[in-house]
Amino acid sequence: MAEIHGRIDDHDPAPFRERFRIIFVIIAIAMAVLVIRLWYLQIIRGDELRQRSENNSVRLRKIHPARGLIKDRYGTVLVDNQPAFDLIFVPNRTREAGEVIRKLATLYGEQSLSLAVDPATINKSSYAAPLRLEKAITMEKLAIVETHSLELPGVLVDVAPIRQYLRGASLAHLIGYMGEINQDELAADAYTGASAGDDVGKAGIEKYLDAYLRGRNGAEQVEVNALGRATKVLGQIAPVPGYNVVLTIDAELQQVAVDALGDRAGAVVVMDTRTGEILALASSPSFDPNLFNGGISHEEWNKLAQNARHPMENRAISGQYPPGSTYKPVVAAAALQEGLITPETKVLCTGGYTLGSRTYRCWQKRGHGTVNLHRALVESCDVYFYTLGKLVGVDRLAWYAGRCGLGAPTGVDLPREKGGLVPTKTWKLAKCKEPWQIGETISTSIGQGFNLVTPLQLARTYSALANGGVLWRPRIIKALETPDGRVFKMFAPEKTGVLPVSPQVLETVRHGLWGVVNERGGTGYALKRKEQDVCGKTGTSQVFGLPQNERARRATRITRRLQDHALFACFAPCKNPEIAVAVIAEHAGHGGAAAAPVARKIIDAYFARKKAAPMVAAAQGAGR
Amino acid sequence: MKFDRRLFAEFDWTLLILVLLISCIGLLNIYSTGFMGDFLQNLYLRQAQWIAIGLVFMVAAFSVDYRLVGRRAYIIYGISVLLLLAVFLFGYATRGSQRWILLGGFSFQPSELMKLTVILALAKYFEDHRAGGNGYRLRELVVPALIALVPFLLILKQPDLGTALIIAFIFVSMVFFVGIEKKSLLIAATGGLVFLPIGWFLLRDYQKERIMTLFRPEQDPLGSGYHIIQSMIAVGSGGIFGKGFLKGTQTQLKFLPEQQTDFVFSVFAEEWGFFGCLLLLTMFLALVLWGLKISLHSRNLLGTLISYGITILIFWEVVINIGMVLGLLPVVGIPLPFLSYGGSAMVVLMTAVGLLMNVSMRRFLFQP
Repeated sequence: MAEIHGRIDDHDPAPFRERFRIIFVIIAIAMAVLVIRLWYLQIIRGDELRQRSENNSVRLRKIHPARGLIKDRYGTVLVDNQPAFDLIFVPNRTREAGEVIRKLATLYGEQSLSLAVDPATINKSSYAAPLRLEKAITMEKLAIVETHSLELPGVLVDVAPIRQYLRGASLAHLIGYMGEINQDELAADAYTGASAGDDVGKAGIEKYLDAYLRGRNGAEQVEVNALGRATKVLGQIAPVPGYNVVLTIDAELQQVAVDALGDRAGAVVVMDTRTGEILALASSPSFDPNLFNGGISHEEWNKLAQNARHPMENRAISGQYPPGSTYKPVVAAAALQEGLITPETKVLCTGGYTLGSRTYRCWQKRGHGTVNLHRALVESCDVYFYTLGKLVGVDRLAWYAGRCGLGAPTGVDLPREKGGLVPTKTWKLAKCKEPWQIGETISTSIGQGFNLVTPLQLARTYSALANGGVLWRPRIIKALETPDGRVFKMFAPEKTGVLPVSPQVLETVRHGLWGVVNERGGTGYALKRKEQDVCGKTGTSQVFGLPQNERARRATRITRRLQDHALFACFAPCKNPEIAVAVIAEHAGHGGAAAAPVARKIIDAYFARKKAAPMVAAAQGAGR
Repeated sequence: MKFDRRLFAEFDWTLLILVLLISCIGLLNIYSTGFMGDFLQNLYLRQAQWIAIGLVFMVAAFSVDYRLVGRRAYIIYGISVLLLLAVFLFGYATRGSQRWILLGGFSFQPSELMKLTVILALAKYFEDHRAGGNGYRLRELVVPALIALVPFLLILKQPDLGTALIIAFIFVSMVFFVGIEKKSLLIAATGGLVFLPIGWFLLRDYQKERIMTLFRPEQDPLGSGYHIIQSMIAVGSGGIFGKGFLKGTQTQLKFLPEQQTDFVFSVFAEEWGFFGCLLLLTMFLALVLWGLKISLHSRNLLGTLISYGITILIFWEVVINIGMVLGLLPVVGIPLPFLSYGGSAMVVLMTAVGLLMNVSMRRFLFQP
């Protein structure tokens, strides 16, 4: 014991005795409080509480709120709710999930059972959280369940509204779709108030504004009988409906854009040049968002997700394409602004541009002869822009492109936007571990090589060319409304930048873009309207580097997948512009032939609508 | 260490029987919650395993002289803090909070161990640094405050408000016990009052909600009020004599969430009624009073402090847990000693009881 140095009788117990007394008092009070509370709950309120618990009587039921509507800029309802019925099962000592499911399957007969839960996990759930067996069941199934309710104890029908996407595939990418909340979302702050089993927005506006659209769950305390059916409502908390969302989209114009694109893979963006509001945003191919209601089946999901044409991708904001010749106005503006050329600077195009041992071809193999800047834009002379690109240099060009809104996300109010790419020397070194080649500057100057833009970026840049240089943040959301229709929040235009060029430069470029459409020999001549009010630029971007040698080129058979993308970016009217349009048609060939007609249909429709309904136009004017 | 025959003679059978009785009640109770089948079926068996393992730890805890344990208190404390840190690095989360680490194939909750080691470290500190005549001054309490604050913050971060609060309760109770100078007490109390509103803002939203729910459970029956309402219905429906073993409808139909852990008392109350509860409370009271008796009779400050700390830990856990189940206190995750299902808690509690026995049976050894 010697190694233990603790002293014997080493403290004076007197003050401790005093404190022990205080602690005894605290303990006595605490115990007394607990006993009194027990007496209150078990004896005074005992009978009442026993009633409430009798025969499993009191249960909480979730009441689903009505999700906010989504409307277009004129108030046309695009997304609505419709009542639907979910099948719920409440397990119990005597009711087993597996048995009930087998029973259901026999009762359904012909109708197949589409379980919303994984049967493997059913028996693992630790307490009686009701199981959502099937979502959005058909009327036939509902009838079967109701008529056989006595054979299906614990099976309840729950009213849970589902989304109705009135415009179907036309707005699928933009509006998104719904799906059951997953584990990660449940844990995230953005989904506070949502609980397991709820449906939440999974893409597009449904996801972006989920917190507003969602509303708040209500609850009902109900008395249920031994079969688990409600007999009496004891208390209720009303659900709070979600906010309505008003989009900047013009549903009719959107439909025109979708129809104009047709079967082709591609995208269309229509932007109001005065405010940055997006009037139409189409992506093709599309899918039916109504498929997701009630939980999409595995097969259908796989069909969508594994489709080689990627129908789920919103090409308008996350498709990245080489801009091709639609990039030329940026190059022209940079060269002019830097004072490297004047509008009258002339270049001789013989159909090719030789640098070192290599010759870069002009699309016009005969050559354009001697052209000035205006003709070079109008006829889209590649050689002219090769010359400019070399003069400006890749990094200076990149600076201009960045300030023109390329190479970075625009900040549109939609999830999963991509930023495109504007290459620089340092980027290349970091990415490829190789120095920049001068030849790459040449391809960059006609929007090939590493350059990538999204259709939305293109529309925004052309909108800035149109409106005198203001880069707006593209907006999809015009306003939020309370469920009773009052405006809760209005979103104002947001200026995010100004083109770094003088008004004279801008005017020169704009005149060139006017020529593209309205002058003989212009590559966008297909778009010439009798009002001569459209300015634009065609683009044909190479997907596949074809052999420069003509004979080898002919010999190469090009499959559709490797064909060029057709682009067209434009704005109208020339004076006091209102809309900018960007069109990309994948693997469709030449921009003037494949993409410009799509833009033409949209512009025609826009002005036809404006003419036909001056009231609507006035409302549109007032709205901004 | 020399074997001393008197150790056997002085073995604290009362304490052992009391703890075994309460644990058996807990086991029956968990059997009742697990009656339904599925994976809970074996829960009572696992709890029995934990009790058995706990008993081994209990024997270990009373075999070595507690003063030897006291000497290593800081090392034990340090290891516990490291384990808490490990929770952040290698731990895994259940239901939004990261509390567990895997230790030799078992999942283990270091925060449970921390409750005991904080007591040991504080006892060791106060044993080494005696107070002056008027009690400890604020300056002398900086180190003990840090001893409690480090695990408090680490546990709060997990987040596990309940366990963090228990650490705070242990600290305050022990400081009160060793004596604090009047002026220091005033300053500390004022400081506490100032910190309270600041602390409110540091709480997570769901924690604030739980506190608010206490005052208006019926307003949010779906969310945070659910536990309280269902628990109160369960307790109240037990009435005077209870519904009988395995007959609790709230329990059997699993209305009660967390019924095998934090809300286990409501299961007991529903099935055994007011008299059953009274009996259980009496047993807890006896355990606490017995612990205080051990503390009072120890002739050695270290022994007094260790046994007091352990007793007060059990006391607070019982009062806060039952208070919460009865809807008197906010829902914070504090288990009911010996009744709630949980391996870490059971083993740590048994070890703590072993230490109590340790102090109890060595109370005469130092006398001439």
